[in-house]
Amino acid sequence: MTIRGLKRLRNICVGLGAAASAVALSLSPAQAAGDLLVAPTRIVLDGQRGTEIILNNIGSETATYRISLELRRMTAEGRLTEVSPEDANELEQAAKEMIRYAPRRVTLPPNQPQAIRLGVRAPKDLADGEYRVHLLFRAIPKARSVTASPEQADGFSIALTPIYGVTIPVIIRQGNLSATAAIANARIEQGDEGQAFAFDLSRTGDRSTYGEIRVMKQGVNEPLLLVRGIAVYPELASRKVSLPVPPEVAAQLKGPLSIEYYEPRNIGGGLITKTELVLR
Amino acid sequence: MSKFIKAALASSVLAASVMGANAAHAATANADARANILEELTVTKDAGTDLDFGTIVTTGTAETVTVGTDGVRAACVNVVCSGASDAADFSVTGSASEAVTLTVPGSVTLSGPGGAIMNANLSSSALTALDASGNGAFSVGGALDVAATQADGAYLGTFTVTVDYP
Repeated sequence: MTIRGLKRLRNICVGLGAAASAVALSLSPAQAAGDLLVAPTRIVLDGQRGTEIILNNIGSETATYRISLELRRMTAEGRLTEVSPEDANELEQAAKEMIRYAPRRVTLPPNQPQAIRLGVRAPKDLADGEYRVHLLFRAIPKARSVTASPEQADGFSIALTPIYGVTIPVIIRQGNLSATAAIANARIEQGDEGQAFAFDLSRTGDRSTYGEIRVMKQGVNEPLLLVRGIAVYPELASRKVSLPVPPEVAAQLKGPLSIEYYEPRNIGGGLITKTELVLR
Repeated sequence: MSKFIKAALASSVLAASVMGANAAHAATANADARANILEELTVTKDAGTDLDFGTIVTTGTAETVTVGTDGVRAACVNVVCSGASDAADFSVTGSASEAVTLTVPGSVTLSGPGGAIMNANLSSSALTALDASGNGAFSVGGALDVAATQADGAYLGTFTVTVDYP
C-alpha cells in the first residue's frame, strides 16, 4: 500500500515568490489563466523504461493544457531553435516514435496537479546513441470571438493572445555512451547589455554533456560567476558560452582564474573539465 | 530554489497495524519513508499585461506601429494612435542560476473581417539565465504593419512563447 501526498506548503511559497516578482513588474499581481508549473525540468532515461512528470495549474482559473513532443536543435550560441516535423532527421524521428505519454490534454482546476506518465518503447534494433525530444506543456487559450470585441465605428482593434508554455528535454540513452568536454578561448566581450565573460565549450563523444559552470579566482572560495544547466548536445561539437558579468564582479575578473564544468549534484557532481587561465 | 516535494510513504500504515497485533513480541516498529525532490519550473503571465497596440485609426497611408518590450508605443506618424499600449510580461521561476532560452516566433498573422490580414513582427527582451533566487522575467513587444487600405474591424491572432530548459 502506498500513500502519496503532495506537500502544499512549499507550493504556497512559490506562489508568493511569483506574486512578489510580479509586483515589481506590474501593479496587478494576480495571476492569469494558463499559468503552469512543471517538475522535473529535465529527464534522462538511461535504461529506465519510463517516468512521471508533474503538471500543476498555478493560475487562478481552470485551464486546459496540451502536452506535445517538439524538436529543438542547439545553435553554436547555445540557443534552442525549433525544428519543424518535416525537417526532422532520422535520429529525431526515431526519438519521437519511441516515446509514449498520456494524457496529452488535461483540464485542471486551480492548484490541481496531474501526473503525466511517459514511457519508452525502443525498437529491438535501435542503434546506440542519444535520442532527444522536448516535451512542450502549454495552456490552450479560451476561444475569443470577433463579435465579443466592441464594435468600433472607425479604425480597428487588435487582440493578440499569447499561448505560453515550457519545454523540458527528454533524453534517451541507448548503449554505453561517453563524452568529454574542453574549454578554450576565454575572453571578455562587450555586448549591448554590458560585459560578458565568454568561452568556447567543445564536446567529443556520442552523448551530450550537461552541468554547471563555475568561474573561480585563486584565493576566493565562492565562484565569481556561476550558471547551471549548461548543455552541449550531440548535434554540436562546440558552442559558445556567454555569461553576463555584473558590475561588482567586473573588477575582480582579472588575473589567474579557472573555469570549471561540473555535472549536476544529483548525478554525482563530478568534474567534467577544468581550465586555468590568466585574464588581463 | 523552491522544490516540489513528492513524499511517498510506503507501507507504514500496514506495518503499524501488523505490529499492533503482535505487540507482545515486537519492541520496535519499522516504517519506510521516501521523498523524491524534483526541480520545478513555473511560467506565469503577469495579469493585465497583454501585447496591446491600443486603438489605431488609418488615414490612408501605410504605417508600422511599434510597441517596445517596455510597453511604450513609438510615435505614430501616418496613423492616429490612441489608448494605452502594453507589452506582455512573463515571470519565470525555477532553479537558481539556471540557464534557459526563449522561443518567440518572429512574426504572427492576425486575421480580420472579410479575410483581411495584418502582420506583426514580435520581439522579446533577453532572458538567458535565472537569477540567484531562481527568478527571471521577459516581455514581448511587437511591430504591427498597417496597410494604407487596412479594413476596419477586429483583428485576432495568437502566438506561442516557450521557455526552454536545456
